[in-house]
Amino acid sequence: MNYRLLKNLFSVVPTRFKQLQLSAIVILLAILLSVFTKWISPAQTAKPVVLNLLMTAPDAQPWKEGLVKRFEEKNPGIRINIIEGPNATNLLEDLYTSAFILGDSPYDLVNMDVIWTPKFAAAGWLMDLTDRMTAKELAAFSSWDVEGGRYEGRLYRIPMRSDVGILYYRKDLLEEGGFAPPKTFADLIAISQSLKQQNKVNWGYLWQGRQYEGLVAMFVEVLHGFGGFWIDPKTLEVGLDRPETLEAIAFLKQTMQAGISPPGVTTYQEEETRRIFQSGQAAFLRSWPYVWPLANAPDSPIQGKIAIEPMVSASGENGGACLGGWGLGISKSTRYPQEAWKAIQYFTSEEAQRQFVLKAGFVPSRRSLFTDPQIVAKYPHYPQLLKVLEKAVLRPPIAQYAQASDILQRYLSAALTNRLSGEKAMKQAAQETRRLLGKS
Amino acid sequence: MVGEEFPSVKTKNIGQHLWLGIAIALVLIFSLAPVMWQLLTSFKVNQDISKVPTVYFPTRFTFGHYIELFTRRPFWRYIFNSAFVAIISTSLALGFGAPAAYALARLRPWGGRVILTSILLVTLFPGILLFLGLLEIVQALHLGNNYLALIIPYTAINLPLTILVLHSFFQQLPKDLEDAAKIDGYNTWQMLVQILLPLTVPALFTTGILTFIFAWNEFIFALTFITREQMKTIPVAVAQLSGASTFEIPYGPIAAATMVGTFPLVLLVLFFQRKIVQGLTAGAVKG
Amino acid sequence: MANTVMMSKLHAIRRQEQITAGIFLLPAAILLLFVFGYPIVRAFWLSFFAKNLATKLQPVFCGLDNYARMVGDGHFWQSFWIATTFTTASVILELLLGLGIALVLNQKFWGQGGVRTIAILPWALPTALMGLAWAWIFNDQFGVVNDILLRLGIIKTGINWLGEPTLALLATIFADVWKTTPFISILLLASLQSISPDLYEAHAMDGAKPWQSFYQITLPLLAPQILIATLFRFAQAFGIFDLIAVMTGGGPGGATEVISLYIYSTVMRYLDFGYGAALMVVTFLLLVLAVASASFLLNKSRIAAK
Repeated sequence: MNYRLLKNLFSVVPTRFKQLQLSAIVILLAILLSVFTKWISPAQTAKPVVLNLLMTAPDAQPWKEGLVKRFEEKNPGIRINIIEGPNATNLLEDLYTSAFILGDSPYDLVNMDVIWTPKFAAAGWLMDLTDRMTAKELAAFSSWDVEGGRYEGRLYRIPMRSDVGILYYRKDLLEEGGFAPPKTFADLIAISQSLKQQNKVNWGYLWQGRQYEGLVAMFVEVLHGFGGFWIDPKTLEVGLDRPETLEAIAFLKQTMQAGISPPGVTTYQEEETRRIFQSGQAAFLRSWPYVWPLANAPDSPIQGKIAIEPMVSASGENGGACLGGWGLGISKSTRYPQEAWKAIQYFTSEEAQRQFVLKAGFVPSRRSLFTDPQIVAKYPHYPQLLKVLEKAVLRPPIAQYAQASDILQRYLSAALTNRLSGEKAMKQAAQETRRLLGKS
Repeated sequence: MVGEEFPSVKTKNIGQHLWLGIAIALVLIFSLAPVMWQLLTSFKVNQDISKVPTVYFPTRFTFGHYIELFTRRPFWRYIFNSAFVAIISTSLALGFGAPAAYALARLRPWGGRVILTSILLVTLFPGILLFLGLLEIVQALHLGNNYLALIIPYTAINLPLTILVLHSFFQQLPKDLEDAAKIDGYNTWQMLVQILLPLTVPALFTTGILTFIFAWNEFIFALTFITREQMKTIPVAVAQLSGASTFEIPYGPIAAATMVGTFPLVLLVLFFQRKIVQGLTAGAVKG
Repeated sequence: MANTVMMSKLHAIRRQEQITAGIFLLPAAILLLFVFGYPIVRAFWLSFFAKNLATKLQPVFCGLDNYARMVGDGHFWQSFWIATTFTTASVILELLLGLGIALVLNQKFWGQGGVRTIAILPWALPTALMGLAWAWIFNDQFGVVNDILLRLGIIKTGINWLGEPTLALLATIFADVWKTTPFISILLLASLQSISPDLYEAHAMDGAKPWQSFYQITLPLLAPQILIATLFRFAQAFGIFDLIAVMTGGGPGGATEVISLYIYSTVMRYLDFGYGAALMVVTFLLLVLAVASASFLLNKSRIAAK
């Protein structure tokens, strides 16, 4: 039997086997091709060094036309490839994160929101930039912006654009009513109520109350204003179940109960609040600097009628302004660290920033530019913005910030929408946060 | 449900005809509506897309969204990536699955029932349970952004269906064929390849279509294991399409991308509807 | 004498068969174990370690800490509850709709093949792409649904489908039902077609009305098929990821964040690998429990049918 098998094998196999062989070889080649495609992939370029940078699509346009063009002119051997990403910053963060986790990150430069730095640094994805800038050079930037780029004492991000929470108000209405700009929470409520009673406005105070990162950004200001804290980055102590936190929540709830904030405020993000404020229906708005040029546009009903000031606080406490903003870091896995550093130096240089601010209206990170005559001519509120920036409050720069923020968002939202009492909500939030930080 | 489930009644009255007609129309509208809507949107100008109330019969059309798709993004690459991964993983699934199915059908291996049941059970594992372990492997072997990182999981995911479908198919083949072949001295592998395989081509084809569809549509692994723009597959690339300036989400290009990305599948379904139905029922009924 | 020879020959053939079977099964078995088996085992193993940003992504043994944390994790229970709601609603709707469509497709009419083709279409299309389409259809400002409702005068202002917690969940359920109903209807159609018409004729002659036939013949005969389809769909819907990730991203405020989204973001956003593994283990065990109970029920119904 075996002998016959073998005989048949040898006679029959060649013809049929060839066919099989052919298809097997094709598939094998295809697999080999896929294994080696990485090396054939189009990231190759002839001579110029290409640095990849990911940012949101709306930001990409001004970058490409302005900063990148000028940089490439000055540095012919380096090209910056701006990759357009989604508009939502949390989606952008996910793109960076998944690329880094996978281990084959295509990004050389990293455009980071201030709250991403601790996470990226703790994960070991960023190059340590501490020794690349002297203290003097760093002093040119606002100290809080620089601090926002640090993790455990080392520097990972050079600030590019600043962003800070500010209180907008209708200076025309306040002047009419003979009010000085409010300094305390109580003032804010009093003025709002007064103006509302006189039917000057529909609403007194607009803030972002939806369950998202912006809620937390808004909340840290109020919390700071009552003398409380969220998480101490050094000791990892959680301050959510302290009386100050409950006072902060009580204040926000009061704005709704007293009728000076619309009941829908717990569904608002930045744009909703801006639209209502811009249509002239409200006296106060807590938001970010981007509102200013829009509110002062020629077709805006409140053009020329607004002013800004730092966020109010409880009497005896300091007001806090939540720090946002973007900065540049270098990915550890880049093949061109020197070129990447060159790019960062250029993008954060005074000249480049000035052009950028004048063209695209972003808030600069260099202190000198806030009082630069050219810029002040266009944006007269910038000197005051600088003052607010100096009093900035950082969201806790801990590696697990995203998770802590998620916990606070959920419980804060539950408290503000009365699904849970403030006390219960914060107690549970504190518990979960402590568990997260391993300190239960 | 109304009394239409009476298949043996040859003559229906007008009322039943009417109900049936309405039911059929509803089924058609239900199945086609979103696809048709995206088709329409993909050709609308931006102003019409964001017009309120909605424009159902636009007067102006544009190819702009399609052009934008292929110029601003490497859409050809996406199509190639999807097709390449789908075809290779389909071939491998068939190549590994056919012998396995044959073994289970005819060779009655020890523990065959257990193997078959576990293969069936494994189809119930959602990808979310698997992606962490696989991610670690991809990291360790530096297979990130490599086609293999998708081909291997897709092949494995398609194996159960392949095996089940081919298994029921092999069971239905007449045994005399194999007995005759054995007498003629063919060994099992030869018999499988030279005699049975030509007969199973229809079943292979059917299974191949199903596995192609699964591989083309797969999302979570493609999202996790491929991050380079040039290597992305269509579903992930389209989900990450972003817009510039005024439009927060580029509805036009997304609609165009949907049409391009679903077009091959629509063709498959159109031409091979019968086979698809066969394959699905064979695979699932056998459970 | 001849018998013994034949017996040993049969044994030899049998052994040869076993070995061949083993070889034939080997590649598939290896691949399946590798892709399906290893990750589950790994998840079990990793769940006893803390591997996150606090440990600088190094695994540190922590026993049952991850599981203890899960008990008090409001987010986990919320996502579990949402997944259950989603799955139950989705599967029930699919069964009803699928059965209806199968009944319609079972009729003989002109263009039957064409209608069947179209009915399958939703199932064959990529979930991610169609999820985007549905998000567009449910868009609060420009969406078709709002437009139709407005024109019909049922509502005065556009409903913010994807911005309201309950409505967003409804929208995703609807989209999922749309996508997977064809799967159910095809399965049921095949079973329907295998029911002999004589059964109905006999029943009719006994004076039964159509809907009585439905309840007394059709449903019982379809029952095993329905149960299997339910089981499959339950497992799939419980682990659903693409559709929701693309339509709502888990929003608004986590209202549509099903368990798979939570697991994914725990790993890929929070880099909390150990905890994510623990979540996977629990989800896996719950699935196993559900499948076991379902097959138990299935067996019981089979025995009862006999």
